[in-house]
Amino acid sequence: MAAQSLSAVDAAVPASTAGVTSARRNRRGSRAERLAPLVLLAPAILIIVGLRLWPLVLGVNFSFTGDGDRNGVAVGLDNYLTLLGDPLFRTALRNVGLLVLLLPVAVAIPGLLATFIYLKVPGHRLYRGVYFFPAVLSPVIVGAIFNLLLAFDGPLNALLGGLGLGPVDWLGDPDVAIFAVVGVHVWATFGMALVVFLAGFATLDSSLLDAAKVDGASLTQTIWHVIIPSLSRTIQFVFVTTMIGMLTSMFGLVYVMTSGGPEGSTYLPEYYVWIQQGQLNQPALASAASTVLFLIMLVVGLAQVAVLRRAGKEE
Amino acid sequence: MKQRTSWLAALAVGLAFTAGCGSASGPGSSTGSGDKLVVWDWKSGDAKAAGYVEKAKADFAKKHPGVTVEFVAQPFDQYYTLLGAAIQAGKGPDVILFNGGGQIRDRADALAPLDSHVGDDKQRLAGWDAFTKDGKVYAEPVTLQGHPIYYNKDLYQKAGLTAPAKTLDEFIGNCGVITQKTGAKCFALGNKEGIGIQFWLSALGSAVLTPQEYDDWIAGKRNWTSPDVKKIFELWQQAGATGLNTDGANSTAMFNDAFASFNSGKAANIIGLMSDVGHWKDFAEFLTPEKVGVTLAPQVNPAAKPSLPYDGGIGYAVAKWTKDPKVAADLVRSLTSTEALKAFYLDGGAIASDTSIDTSAGGPAVKTIVSEVKTGKPALHVALGSKTVDLMGRLSQQLLSGSITVDEVLQQLAASDKTG
Repeated sequence: MAAQSLSAVDAAVPASTAGVTSARRNRRGSRAERLAPLVLLAPAILIIVGLRLWPLVLGVNFSFTGDGDRNGVAVGLDNYLTLLGDPLFRTALRNVGLLVLLLPVAVAIPGLLATFIYLKVPGHRLYRGVYFFPAVLSPVIVGAIFNLLLAFDGPLNALLGGLGLGPVDWLGDPDVAIFAVVGVHVWATFGMALVVFLAGFATLDSSLLDAAKVDGASLTQTIWHVIIPSLSRTIQFVFVTTMIGMLTSMFGLVYVMTSGGPEGSTYLPEYYVWIQQGQLNQPALASAASTVLFLIMLVVGLAQVAVLRRAGKEE
Repeated sequence: MKQRTSWLAALAVGLAFTAGCGSASGPGSSTGSGDKLVVWDWKSGDAKAAGYVEKAKADFAKKHPGVTVEFVAQPFDQYYTLLGAAIQAGKGPDVILFNGGGQIRDRADALAPLDSHVGDDKQRLAGWDAFTKDGKVYAEPVTLQGHPIYYNKDLYQKAGLTAPAKTLDEFIGNCGVITQKTGAKCFALGNKEGIGIQFWLSALGSAVLTPQEYDDWIAGKRNWTSPDVKKIFELWQQAGATGLNTDGANSTAMFNDAFASFNSGKAANIIGLMSDVGHWKDFAEFLTPEKVGVTLAPQVNPAAKPSLPYDGGIGYAVAKWTKDPKVAADLVRSLTSTEALKAFYLDGGAIASDTSIDTSAGGPAVKTIVSEVKTGKPALHVALGSKTVDLMGRLSQQLLSGSITVDEVLQQLAASDKTG
């Protein structure tokens, strides 16, 4: 963020300098004119190259070396082959795929709730505050709270027992645990998306809603034919930010709620990187996993930027 | 755009960290001046360890008055990550606290052998094996860590029993009586992190394997196809299937939910620890010392000889890159001096490596533990590599949920044990 505003300043400064110097039109001036942009851009370029690109290259380079006895020795693609052969890493990638599949749900929930608030359901002022509240809690606290709620002998299972349903081992059943963790993540973060949706609603043309009302449209028809088309840019933006949130900030929840278990079913690439580097002392393998994660993020990020750009043109 | 930039930045920074570790993987360079020693641990920030650190510092100051010592307490969950970065860079602390077993053996390359400095302590301290690799000692043990089976005397009394039985069949039979009369389960188990199986393997191992099999296992000649090894994992599976464990073991954290179950009388037995957490002194908050007993593993195989599984728990090592290994080794010796260890035992409740410390005031559980240390043997899971232990944790969860057979588990573990 900081670097972006920096480069914005850098871009603005040479332009104005160029204006001043070109007015003078002498030889010294034209030389300064040639150098000025380079000098002014240098800090930003140095920061980007020195602190971002160069470490990135080192990291990728490091992923082609070995661990333990082979520390520092070039091993080619060995680490990547190890990753491919590791069922745990494959689970982690599969879970990334699952997150992408669950994305529409994660977007629909805040969208729907924001709609209700916008349509002024009774108590909407209260809900607006309450929905946002979890967004200010750290993942560790959220994880600890839900560890208690979802424990095998916890309140949720007691409630199910009261209804005559068998207990579910929310965090101990490999088929359920990942959904429990994602569900908690959505609960903890949808407040942000809700605020974005509400901001989008503020720009909505209320005469369209009135017209729909006059024409006798039902609630679902109003949402489908009026609200969703009007909010398409907001929805796309929420898609992008929610995806980023899911891929980059679930470590805390996984760490606190399941430790990657049960049976390794809630592993995510980030968690895998951490285990390999910190617990199993295999930094080069962790580096390879980081590189794979980086590539995934790059593809997802570029695709999303493309979507956003197209949406911008449509407007 | 703003978001995109920020995640790119976050990733780049993340990669920068990993990359930074690797970029300097060459030979180590020295840090710190000669008259200052830096110690890394995760203990010294703890109020319970204040007396220990003070005693050790005083002892060292007598030997080297001109050398200052700085303790840097790192958070434990990040400890080996930070240490990994220091090792890759070839510079960092002079004296390093380690867990015994895989954690120190995996990093022995970065440490200086201490054999020539610690000869005088060999007799006084126990638990050296966990800090030894290829015949060389890399750290002096501070505490002993092991896996006694604790039992709640109250629950046994309520069921009309005096103490846990000596054979497994009777032991489980008694559990049935306890459950019937008190509602308490047989074992409090937490296997969320996959730690439960480590405790199980080590606590029951000596009651299942013959002494020869046991010693071979520790020496690295592990026969994963032996029926006795298989029996340990079958017992684990059966304990889960027959409802001996507390409910939801795979989603219960060993620390501290499983121990809380034991403390609150929801289970009659628990395989616990000797030091740090989950031990006799921890229980004392809820169960008074007279109510907690320690028993050896109930006999499964008549040819086996049940014993207390224990190893060196934590110990201080000297980094390869330190300027004067002799001075650093002296600091390690001060950190394991009798006075310092006594303070650690009294304040923290750890079973110290120094067996000459008087523990008679600690209650029956600690008395039993200390008396068993003499005949105890290294724990089975400590002998395994960290990769195999990690895999075993996940497989143990599958065994509890019934999605894998014991034979498949043994196959996978044998393969992992061979390579790693």
